Amino acid sequence: MLSRVAENLYWLGRYLERAENTARFINSTTQVLLDLPRDASFGWDVLLKVAGLDQVYAEHHPNMTQADEDSIVSFLIEDPHNPSSILSGIHNARENARTVREVLPMELWERINSLYLYIRDNAARAQAGRGPRNEVLRGVIGRRESIIGLLTGSMSRDVAYQFIKLGRNIERADMTTRIIDVNSAVRLPRDPALAAVAIERMWMSTLNALSAYQMYRRHVSVHVRANEVVNYLLKNGHFPRTVLHCLGEIEGCLSVLPDHMVAMKKVRQAWRRVDAMQLDNLKPTVLHEYLDQVQTDLGDVHAALAGKYFHLHHQTAEQ
Amino acid sequence: MAIELSNYPQPDTYDELLDEQLRPRNAARTLFGYLDRLGTAELMARRESVDAAIMAMGITFTVYSDAGNIDRVWPFDIVPRTMSLKEWARIDAGLKQRLTALNLFIDDLYNAQKIVKDGIFPLEVLAGSKNFRPQCKGMTPRFGVWAHVCGTDLVRDSDGTMYVLEDNLRVPSGVSYMLENRQLMKQLFPELFKASDIQPVDDYPTQLYDTLAALSPHETDRPVVVVLTPGIYNSAYFEHSYLAQKMGAILVEGSDLVVQEDDCVYMKTISGLRRVDVIYRRIDDDFLDPDAFRPDSALGVRGLMRAWRAGKVGIANAPGAGVADDKVVYTFVPQIIKYYLDQDPILPNVPSWMCMAPDQCEYVLANLDKLVVKPANESGGYGMLIGPRASAEERAQFADLIRANPRNYMAQPTLSISTAPTLFGDRMAPRHLDLRPFVLQSDRLYATTGGLTRVALREGSLVVNSSQGGGSKDTWIINTREP
Repeated sequence: MLSRVAENLYWLGRYLERAENTARFINSTTQVLLDLPRDASFGWDVLLKVAGLDQVYAEHHPNMTQADEDSIVSFLIEDPHNPSSILSGIHNARENARTVREVLPMELWERINSLYLYIRDNAARAQAGRGPRNEVLRGVIGRRESIIGLLTGSMSRDVAYQFIKLGRNIERADMTTRIIDVNSAVRLPRDPALAAVAIERMWMSTLNALSAYQMYRRHVSVHVRANEVVNYLLKNGHFPRTVLHCLGEIEGCLSVLPDHMVAMKKVRQAWRRVDAMQLDNLKPTVLHEYLDQVQTDLGDVHAALAGKYFHLHHQTAEQ
Repeated sequence: MAIELSNYPQPDTYDELLDEQLRPRNAARTLFGYLDRLGTAELMARRESVDAAIMAMGITFTVYSDAGNIDRVWPFDIVPRTMSLKEWARIDAGLKQRLTALNLFIDDLYNAQKIVKDGIFPLEVLAGSKNFRPQCKGMTPRFGVWAHVCGTDLVRDSDGTMYVLEDNLRVPSGVSYMLENRQLMKQLFPELFKASDIQPVDDYPTQLYDTLAALSPHETDRPVVVVLTPGIYNSAYFEHSYLAQKMGAILVEGSDLVVQEDDCVYMKTISGLRRVDVIYRRIDDDFLDPDAFRPDSALGVRGLMRAWRAGKVGIANAPGAGVADDKVVYTFVPQIIKYYLDQDPILPNVPSWMCMAPDQCEYVLANLDKLVVKPANESGGYGMLIGPRASAEERAQFADLIRANPRNYMAQPTLSISTAPTLFGDRMAPRHLDLRPFVLQSDRLYATTGGLTRVALREGSLVVNSSQGGGSKDTWIINTREP
């Protein structure tokens, strides 16, 4: 497979996953806001930091007092200056799919195109309040899920498939850590009883954002406790959005690709580090550091992939 | 209710499907019998289903505009153009004869230039040719063949004569639509394919692959064949991708390839560099190699000409093959056929006047209002004058252009090109059309059975280009079992 094509497929997987997870991320945040007790508050600027977009935002919003809900949500959904906005992501995915159409199932392009048209035509409606916003974002999530269904049901498990899957899982693991981290933006009420209520609701929203609440209840507990949720979302090997599950998927993809030694080492290193994390009675600041560490490790996996599989294509770009 | 032909206007030129009394011609008889039985409502329902299928199959050509990139659907008419196998057999022989002669001609031009020395082909025409590439002198590609894929445009005049309008020897496109049109028609009218002996077209990708594979510089079971595309911004990108897919070849862009010091071409893969044996290039000579041609080209591959000249890679069509794709060279094709093959041309040229000959130039200038004047090296209908439709002022301006550079112009009478019934709503109306068969040559000689019929969908229009309101029809070559 051509380096260029491999890289396009990988980013196709990442862009779509990022778009879907940004939608989940916004919905989760909205849920948290709705459920918070009255004297708890939420730092929208912290949210940008969690998403890793604070600098891009600052560049285009020199007046940071604009860091209110509407501006930030618009930035996350449709701002063309934000390369990670849902609209940018889906647009990029569409352009990538166009250049590698010959290795993809025919209908995939159509589905991606219709997802693009959907968000393009509905982005304005998503600004009309939390209700319509939730509806539009769920539309994005559902359409994205149908794309995964199409890939799963109609594409050979060839090299092309592996690169899409690699991109999807790296992005998914990364976004899971960021969605967990949304809770660090919540300023808890002073009253311990109210704080306990707030904490439970926060984590319930996190589970909901990742479509994990039902499975958590079934496999872990009917009670939502911070350390158990974090443990579940990082380490559970069976739920498809957990970090360890994604790392396992990445390992599986790599095992069928040529010359995978370096990247494989990085994946296993990341796996071991997550597996060894002690998550009981964590202070929020320490959790934040742990999540940062996972993101750094995923970055190393990406660098190893790029160094092995995409670098030939990149040499040209620099020439 | 049967398809209404009573409103069909009396043809003012040759109609491909109907004779002067509006009776179906031999090859169209089964079709019309079938359409009669099918009825209008059913026909219209089927057309709707075909529109949906076109969307679903993603048969598009890309139009880039300020509003963003749009994949436009290629307009398709469900009434096929029919022709008898008997007539086709003669055209098939004519196409093969023509390409064989043209390849001998190109090879001669880059080597001994016997045809010039023998006084058949004037040196000044060669000297004025934009597409003659000195970089190719002294080369003889495998089998002596330069143009491996040729799209020959045919038109029929009112008297029924089929003429060659031009030979596209650079990067002819459209074959993917020919193949897709047939797929659609089989879904649409399966009964007809059972009832009549319609010649298949779908072996083209295999024939193309074999034609290309034969150009491999070394013996191997399965040579690595790539399709070189300028990328998604090219209007024929869909076709490049389509053909790569159908041939099991790899679709590459210039930046995916590199020529190493061993003069071999490699592609950049996830497992390192891999040797490429044959390149089916869909970019023009000018952009092929910045070392040999336009230095500012970012679409091509540095060192590609070096690799080709060293015999390390096959390129189709060979660089420089476009020398014979020139409207002035075109006027010499009958002599070229005679010279190399000692045969009379089976397919006639449209009568042409060359402005470089003073007496002919005078005729052209005096009759601009009756003629179509074409520049030698443009394609896609650019820079043309259609005399009868131009204003006096436009004609005067064009006359100045001709006087300034007579070598660059040739003129032809305005043909009254043939029509075929085309479905609009629930009625048929005549529309003008042409035919582009695709001819392949390497160790073999092959022509598609039929080709791509392009139709000018606007009433009275003669322009069949997709970018200007053209569409297409399936082309049925039918064995009518005539004696």
